[in-house]
Amino acid sequence: MKKFFASSLARGLLWQVIGILIGAGIVEIGRAILPDYEPFGPFGFSEPAWVLGAFLGGLFFLAGNGSVADWFKWSRGIDTPEEHEEHYHGWEKYINYSLDHKVIGVQYTLTALALISIGGLFALIFRTELAQPGLQFLKLDLKLFGQNGPQLYNTLMSLHGMLMIQGILLGVAGIINYVVPLLLGAKDMAFPRLNAFSYWIAVPGAITLLSSLFLGGFDTGWTGYPPLSTRAPVGMQMFFLGVFFLGWSSILGGLNVVTTVVRVRVKSMNALRMPIFVWAGVATSIITMTATQLIALAFQLVIFQRLFGMGFFDPGKGGNPVLFQHLFWFYSHPAVYVFVLPGLGVISELLVVFARKPLFGYRWVAMSSLGIALVGFLVWAHHMFASGMNEYLRVPFMYSTLLVGIPTGVKFFSWVATLWKGKVEYATPMLFVLGAIIVFLLGGITGPPLAAISLDLHLTDTYFVVGHFHDTIFGGFVFPFFAALYYWFPKATGRRMSETLGKLHFWIMTPSFLVLQFGMMRIGLLGMRRRIVDYDPALGFGSTHIVLTVAGYLIGLSVLIFFYNFFNSMKNGEKAEGNVWNSRSPEWQVPSPMPTHNYDQPFEVVGEPYDYGLPGSKYVEFTSPAKGDH
Amino acid sequence: MSHTQDKSSALLQGIVIFVYLAVLTALEYFIAVTFNGVSILAIVAVVKAALVIYFYMHIYKLNEDGGADEHSYEYKTVTNRLGLWLFLLSDSFVFAGLLVMRFNLLGLTRPNLSQILGLAVTAVLLISSFFMNRAETAMKHGDRKGFVQNIIITLVLGIGFIAGVLGVEWPRAIAEGVVPSLNTYGAAFFMMTGMHALHVLTGVILLLVVLNNARKGLYDNKDYPIEAAAVYWHFVDLVWIFFYPALYLIGKLPG
Repeated sequence: MKKFFASSLARGLLWQVIGILIGAGIVEIGRAILPDYEPFGPFGFSEPAWVLGAFLGGLFFLAGNGSVADWFKWSRGIDTPEEHEEHYHGWEKYINYSLDHKVIGVQYTLTALALISIGGLFALIFRTELAQPGLQFLKLDLKLFGQNGPQLYNTLMSLHGMLMIQGILLGVAGIINYVVPLLLGAKDMAFPRLNAFSYWIAVPGAITLLSSLFLGGFDTGWTGYPPLSTRAPVGMQMFFLGVFFLGWSSILGGLNVVTTVVRVRVKSMNALRMPIFVWAGVATSIITMTATQLIALAFQLVIFQRLFGMGFFDPGKGGNPVLFQHLFWFYSHPAVYVFVLPGLGVISELLVVFARKPLFGYRWVAMSSLGIALVGFLVWAHHMFASGMNEYLRVPFMYSTLLVGIPTGVKFFSWVATLWKGKVEYATPMLFVLGAIIVFLLGGITGPPLAAISLDLHLTDTYFVVGHFHDTIFGGFVFPFFAALYYWFPKATGRRMSETLGKLHFWIMTPSFLVLQFGMMRIGLLGMRRRIVDYDPALGFGSTHIVLTVAGYLIGLSVLIFFYNFFNSMKNGEKAEGNVWNSRSPEWQVPSPMPTHNYDQPFEVVGEPYDYGLPGSKYVEFTSPAKGDH
Repeated sequence: MSHTQDKSSALLQGIVIFVYLAVLTALEYFIAVTFNGVSILAIVAVVKAALVIYFYMHIYKLNEDGGADEHSYEYKTVTNRLGLWLFLLSDSFVFAGLLVMRFNLLGLTRPNLSQILGLAVTAVLLISSFFMNRAETAMKHGDRKGFVQNIIITLVLGIGFIAGVLGVEWPRAIAEGVVPSLNTYGAAFFMMTGMHALHVLTGVILLLVVLNNARKGLYDNKDYPIEAAAVYWHFVDLVWIFFYPALYLIGKLPG
């Protein structure tokens, strides 16, 4: 316990509380002095006080835990050593400030798992509520955090969306952070301090986001559309600010990845011999470092509209609510590709290892990631077919949306052709990769019906959309994420996770998820609206809702099995220090776990990355033989 | 146009580019008050931006590769430069978003602001960019005294810009009815100038940092921080090249 209170995390949290009190205090004193303002409000502080408090809280967290200390020294002309020694061991490493990309990758991943678990828990709560028509336990006379039952339902539903999204962004960052420098033969990311900063700013961001639950919540869904979001309780502001901080994390992380790939890879690795996962990481990072600014701007404009009455989205003052949707979706559509591109990269990266065959059409797969990223910038208004935007925008956006199918199709054909006549080994990571391909295919083919304007006007805001979206995200992120965790776990710990439990996890989760998603689409087609706490029993899908709820709980159970496996295997797992998966990738040619500064000997790229099964071909060669070389 | 050119020709180039920019700014103003051709104003802004990006921000330096030694200062400088430019690319999406907001809400009308005052603050920022370029050139050629003089002028002009916008322009706009909470003219004007002023303030802090360190005797051969501060300062000027016509020149007054 003593070690916890001395950690960077604990210091950051303490300073965050101090920052909140200082920021809120300044505003409350100001309000008390000004003649027309009453200090304090129903949630302790008044809304402007909470906003400044939460903002300063985030900054104080970073100042308090040492994330900016080196930069302050630089600004005073003091040099700081380039490579830090490891001060901590075991679990302490992960709650303390570290510059090692592997530690930061694990920190990201653990935070992501925490956020995704909380988001999943919220989903189970409101899934239970939906099991039957009528209000089960989120009743009107319930009072919790200043909200009655249906209001709490709205808050949980909205927070489920944003927590999952931010958890996924952190999970993506975790895998990229851990794996990309290893694949590039780099000692670390290009900007290690910026990397640590990007992680640590996500912590106060996540706390601010979660605090919205306790400050009256909000009822807009994760999209936060005005005018509703201009009237929601203070929780709305915490939601905006939390996302704002997490956005900084995304932007700076993406910038770091692009610079790393361009500048710090081994000289002999030319662009067309980079692993597919690196290509996917670059494509993702291009989106995060540019488009994220637009959601930050959109949310900032609503914050200011609420604080200062600036009428950006208020038609009464000449504003335009549809403008918010344009700014919002300019990020939030490409963001979907941020979630799935690394996942698709993981699929390509792992499929070849377990199919023991060269990747079919390497160049096309590499370019298709960039293609999806670029087309992704041109499709945002397909979320707005029913918004009342200018009608002439609809058809072009329909066509650009359908265009996404082409680079995505390239990937599917590559996977199928790679599997063709392969000697497939059904290890746990491979099961999740195959699951990902099937689920993502279902998500993909339910996309075009929604892109078609006439159908979308019918299906918009129904559970069909919910089913489609969960399909793409499970196939594009959740399944590949688990595959990556099972696959790279031995690299990080020197032990492997139990295959039996891993297969149990897979065989419970996959059928449950398929039931869940087909059920959602079915009730969506029958007219079930999304984001509602209650529905008409006469619509006749009460029984389907019970099945969905059971499926939801089974997914929860499978994730619990995963967590047990994950934490138990760290200590008691079977030792796995060599090339567990018989991979050609450089990180598996050295013993696990990886030492602090990665490779003892530099390596050279001497062949194609994915020529599995071709006799005598090699991808990398260590300039002098490394320990445990195969 | 290599950066290895000698000092006098580098300074001369700075002056020539400044004259071009000044003439284009005057031309812009003239077009706006006479026939207000929107597309011509946009073209002039793009030309000005291109001049700043090439000759003041030296975008061509992104082509350097820094040699083979990954631990050398040159190699790391090229890496840092790429990071900086990616950051500016990212940042420019905020300002692009603000421009989208302005044209979506206001269309081809403009807030009721003093065009002369707008020209004055624009000139202050433009001149500061000129002196920033002189400071950077001086340091590149080992002239520490010239650097300090020029950067102090830049700083004074930068602070003058903030004071002009916040202290003169904002109260005057409110007096003319451009109020943030009243209509979208006020909202757009205060949001855009506020966000830009925040970036100018950041630039002023960065300049103070490099000035302080230069006086301590740092940056003899390792002068990348000065380049970074200069590029950032020119970027802030670059943003204003688009914001100035968007707020003060393009369109008619409402009503």
